[in-house]
Amino acid sequence: MSDVFLPLLVAIPIVLSVVPLIAGLRYERAGWPIAFVGSITVTAIAGYVAVTIASSGRLIHALGNYPQPYGIELVGDELSALVALLIAIVSLAVLLYARTAGPRGNAFYSGYLLLTGGLFGVALTGDMFNLFVFLEITSLVTYALVASDRTSGKAAYAAFKYVFLGTVGASMYLLGVGYLYVATGTLNMRDLQEAIASVGYGDPIVQAAFGFILVGFAIKVALFPLHTWQPDAYTYAPDSVSAYISALVSTASAYALIRITYGVFTQSFLEANDLIVTAILVVASVSIVVGSLLALMQTEVKRMFAYSSVAQFGMIVAAIGLANETALFGAILHLLGHGLIKAGLFMAAGVLATAYGARTVTDYAGLSRRSPYAVGGMTLAGIALIGLPPSIGFLGKWFMALGAVEAGAWGVAAVIFASTMLTLAYVFRLVEMLYFRSPSAARTDESAAVEVPDASTDGVAAPDGGSIDRVTVAQVAIVVSIGITVIALGFSWELFADYLDPVLGRFFA
Amino acid sequence: MTDGSVLGLITTRYAYLVVVFVATVGLYMMIANQNLVKKLIGLNMFQTGIFLFFITSAYVVDGSSAIVPADGAGGPFASPLPQVIVLTAIVVGVSLTAVGLALIIRLYAEYGTLRADALREVIADE
Amino acid sequence: MSEIVTDIRPVAAVAVSLLGTILIVASHRRPNLREAWTVLVSVGKFAIVASMFPAVLAGTTFSYSLGSVLPGIEFVLRADPLGLLFATLASLLWIVTSFYSIGYMRGLDEDNQTRFFAAFAASLSATMGIAFAGNLVTIFIFYELLSLATYPLVAHDETDRARAAGRKYLAYTFFGGGVLVLAGTVLVYWIAGTTDFTAGGIEALAAADPTIAQITFIVLAIGFGVKAGLMPLHQWLPEAMVAPTPVSGLLHAVAVVKSGAFGVARVVLDVFGPEVLYQLGMGLVISTIAAITLTAASFIAIRKDHLKQRLAYSTVSQLSYIVLGLGLFGWYGLIGALLHIPAHAFMKLTLFFCAGAIHVETHTDHISKMAGIGKRMPVTLGAFTIAAAGMAGTPLLAGFVSKYYMLIGGVQMGATLTPVAYYLVGALLLSGVLNIVYFWPVVYTAFFEAEDAHDAKPLVDFQLGGEKRSLLASADGGSGRSNRPRTDGGVPDDDRQDADDLEDADKTQDVADDGADDPFEPKELIDDAEPERPPVDSEQGEDDIDEGPTGVIQPDFAPGDGRFEYDDSEFDDSDVAARLHPSDHVAENENETDAQADRTDQVSDSSTDDDTHDVSAHDDEGTHDHHHEGPPPGGWRHITGREVLVGSETTWFMLGPILAAVTGAIALGVVPYGIGFLELIEVIVEGVGVSPP
Repeated sequence: MSDVFLPLLVAIPIVLSVVPLIAGLRYERAGWPIAFVGSITVTAIAGYVAVTIASSGRLIHALGNYPQPYGIELVGDELSALVALLIAIVSLAVLLYARTAGPRGNAFYSGYLLLTGGLFGVALTGDMFNLFVFLEITSLVTYALVASDRTSGKAAYAAFKYVFLGTVGASMYLLGVGYLYVATGTLNMRDLQEAIASVGYGDPIVQAAFGFILVGFAIKVALFPLHTWQPDAYTYAPDSVSAYISALVSTASAYALIRITYGVFTQSFLEANDLIVTAILVVASVSIVVGSLLALMQTEVKRMFAYSSVAQFGMIVAAIGLANETALFGAILHLLGHGLIKAGLFMAAGVLATAYGARTVTDYAGLSRRSPYAVGGMTLAGIALIGLPPSIGFLGKWFMALGAVEAGAWGVAAVIFASTMLTLAYVFRLVEMLYFRSPSAARTDESAAVEVPDASTDGVAAPDGGSIDRVTVAQVAIVVSIGITVIALGFSWELFADYLDPVLGRFFA
Repeated sequence: MTDGSVLGLITTRYAYLVVVFVATVGLYMMIANQNLVKKLIGLNMFQTGIFLFFITSAYVVDGSSAIVPADGAGGPFASPLPQVIVLTAIVVGVSLTAVGLALIIRLYAEYGTLRADALREVIADE
Repeated sequence: MSEIVTDIRPVAAVAVSLLGTILIVASHRRPNLREAWTVLVSVGKFAIVASMFPAVLAGTTFSYSLGSVLPGIEFVLRADPLGLLFATLASLLWIVTSFYSIGYMRGLDEDNQTRFFAAFAASLSATMGIAFAGNLVTIFIFYELLSLATYPLVAHDETDRARAAGRKYLAYTFFGGGVLVLAGTVLVYWIAGTTDFTAGGIEALAAADPTIAQITFIVLAIGFGVKAGLMPLHQWLPEAMVAPTPVSGLLHAVAVVKSGAFGVARVVLDVFGPEVLYQLGMGLVISTIAAITLTAASFIAIRKDHLKQRLAYSTVSQLSYIVLGLGLFGWYGLIGALLHIPAHAFMKLTLFFCAGAIHVETHTDHISKMAGIGKRMPVTLGAFTIAAAGMAGTPLLAGFVSKYYMLIGGVQMGATLTPVAYYLVGALLLSGVLNIVYFWPVVYTAFFEAEDAHDAKPLVDFQLGGEKRSLLASADGGSGRSNRPRTDGGVPDDDRQDADDLEDADKTQDVADDGADDPFEPKELIDDAEPERPPVDSEQGEDDIDEGPTGVIQPDFAPGDGRFEYDDSEFDDSDVAARLHPSDHVAENENETDAQADRTDQVSDSSTDDDTHDVSAHDDEGTHDHHHEGPPPGGWRHITGREVLVGSETTWFMLGPILAAVTGAIALGVVPYGIGFLELIEVIVEGVGVSPP
């Protein structure tokens, strides 16, 4: 019975999360090994689950053996397996990165494990209310982690803002769930699919339920104009945390939105409610454009990436609203790709900040010479973010654009095409800084040894900046391998298409 | 009993009106009040409104609490599921309040104020 | 006829310079090894491409798929006749350019040479990919890669201008590629379910809704047209001239812009097919845009004083020939258009190489400062003249053959299909005349004017609509020893500089006390004169020299001053770096017997001396063309034939490529069948279903 691995994925990190705190009473540095063991274990399990699902179809596990539809069940299908795999891999990468980058306390590792467990829960649950619980576990830990930078009160304020907006979002979702329960009397996702169909897609309660859920998730994935919590949170959180939450927290929410839209309300619901679809498309399109423009206006690099997320999630939500298979496939690809890309970008930003104290765009001048590998990884990730071929970003964009054309949504198609330019504008602002501008202070340094800095492997050898020692080879290696991965995944559509075929088949029966 | 008149609505659906009232007051308080602690109380009220909504939806006319004897006799019972849900949600809400209060303490220690507007100013100057 | 063979060679052609990129980066510490890789890889690439030539000519198509990129779309590289035409051209000219760029980069002792050569090799890799791409998605991928790979080349100088040019370049090409070509590709895929290039057009497009098919074509044609410099999206091209000259030459006259033109050719021939396009009425639309572009660009070129800018607009104009020809429906038009791809490549490469050689040797970029330069660089300017004549369509040169075909095509179309084609023919003829108008002044200035006696070029030197002149100015103008009537006497700075030389000499006008006015005065005297230079001079000199990129030069005499400010030899004096550096100067000091020694001298000079040209140019974030243009104080040195042979004119690294390119241009004009291109083109055009009349 391989379905027992599903609860293990959730349970192992959550149970383990208390261990660093307890062990920390006696052993000061117990946190990292424990988190590492947990992370390796769940990665292996997630890999195993993904393979099992590919061969034997979706796994369903009834928690506590309560009969359906009353009990809570965990469902592992191809989509959730991919998201779980992403969570596992990015978690592991962040953990390796955080070993030296910090934050280092045992509390961080507890939070890290709890967050991982919560994210797995979001990915695997098959119950509407259970989803709320896992979302809240995720959010609560995120609030704490964002605030874990003790050097500045800004982080705490950012987290405080996040608490309010995040909770309102979750409450909206809960309200939507309540409406659904009132309308149908069940909360099991598979059960709801039929129950909603029998109530009728035009039923006002069902429509209102979807509306609340949509707004809730719009806050969670930070669509414009509900994005205001996100830039501060990403900017002031410690670098490892920024990488982690930007890659996974909004991603998990967007995954949940896909799951609920297509697994619970179904495509027929969208087809029956033009107004809702139009609203989704308009808000998402505006989000793409405004998010990119705001990103372009930022001087702080992490804030720029944060606004970039607003735009990218706008693209994903737009594709969800298009309600066709091609676009949804693109959305899933972009969701996974964006997770990896953002993790890579934030980690690269962290490396440069640690090594050179570079946090603004102008600080980045000429860093390519001092840290060619980290900057190279960042550039590759940036190229994937723009969606230049070959990269995972291109695949996502292609399918979303094709889906938009197929759906006849010309406006959305135009925005998706134009997003290339918008993303290009802010990514190449960085690239130009990194490669084609020399910091005037370092001018003499450079002309003295034009070719030499290229030689310094991964920037460790560059003496400049003082704190370069704090960057380890492992951190740079992670950034570079993420950069290479997102490019290499540009040839992977067949893999994903084959793997996701059953789940897309269920969504578009 | 459920005729369309306003009076009918008030007399039969008053529970929903209370729900909406509590949630709205909470939301307003959260937005309009500058005191961080009061904002948090507002947030709690907003959530409480939603919890009440769940409880209301579980109501069954003449239903008793869902303690079913071994022989299954009795009833009708109020639906137990929303009540379980709300119990869980309350736990979530409490944790949330705890996190919120912890952050408020942190902010107070850092900036020495509990007012959101003052805080924004201080942070903007930083 | 069209036998398809699975063969790895198209992939190898792409991969070899990718490998080269890695090798170049790996050997960044050893410049000689690095350059050896560049040359080796370019030769290897050409060998691979050339090995496919005979078989493709015989009707074989080599194809290799690297797996699937998107549903129903293979990542396929396919050497068909059209692709091979472009690939042969690009790989052949890359060899030439490799040598040239080595000479150029070393001659100027540029920074970041490793990045330069690596990006160069990567660009060529992408260009091969474009040539051999078997479907729209593959070409799109390489098209984007090309934009990425050439960006470091454009922004190479790392000056503000270079960065701005880089930004503009990226914005334009990604608007063309990432937005329009991608949109067009998606549309084609949506309509036809495939994007494979099919000789004669994809069938499903013929059956599609005409409006959507028209939109698709326009989106694709403009998307590729951006790189081909189609107006109004051409502005990146002149800006990108800030790049080092080998880049301008190969990438902006051969690879990048040609990949745009090639993309249009693919769309016309292999996506829609000439037949369908004619039915859609789109051929004429695109031809008309091209006709407008080529005429307008020619007019703009006339007014450019900066040589590379003039060449850039000439490129814009000439590329539109290709696009125009593609829009002409029929055998002759298509042949002419396709033949113009190699023809223009050879000629424009020659022109750019010449401009680059002049820049390296004399740091002169503006035509108005080139008076008499023909005696300093006789071979270079000779090659320039031949290539320019070819551009204008002089018989026995490459440009003539292609234009001849296009003219026949245009007349034929006008006679049989629509009279609009006659206007296109008119535009072609007019542009030929304009070509002469903008190239002749260069030749004339170089060979038939002297440093101390050259006249103002009214179209270049003055603001449009004329300008106000003072009597004094016209009196001054009268003193110019010119055999052409002076249209204007208000001689702006650079012309005036020389005119002033005369004036001062003839009229013994009181211009400070500089003995430097005499162009034939030995340099030592100038040095002596330097400390006595009036303080106003340098300030004024700065103002004078800061001319806009358009080449419109403001008159620089102070109102009410009553006399002119000081001449160019003075600001040459003020810029010690410039005087120290130009090779003319160095050569003058040495006994000019061993040119190689001169060169080493110069290179070591620039790498050791803080005050040399390169360092200062990079320091002030300015461009190369400040402060040290024009002839050295003693006038241009006369270079004889023997001196050319030993490399006094310029190194053989540069002279060789120039001669090779110009030879190609002549060969293509004299024996168009002899070097295979025309034959290949006939195969292409027959392949798309257009038969010879």
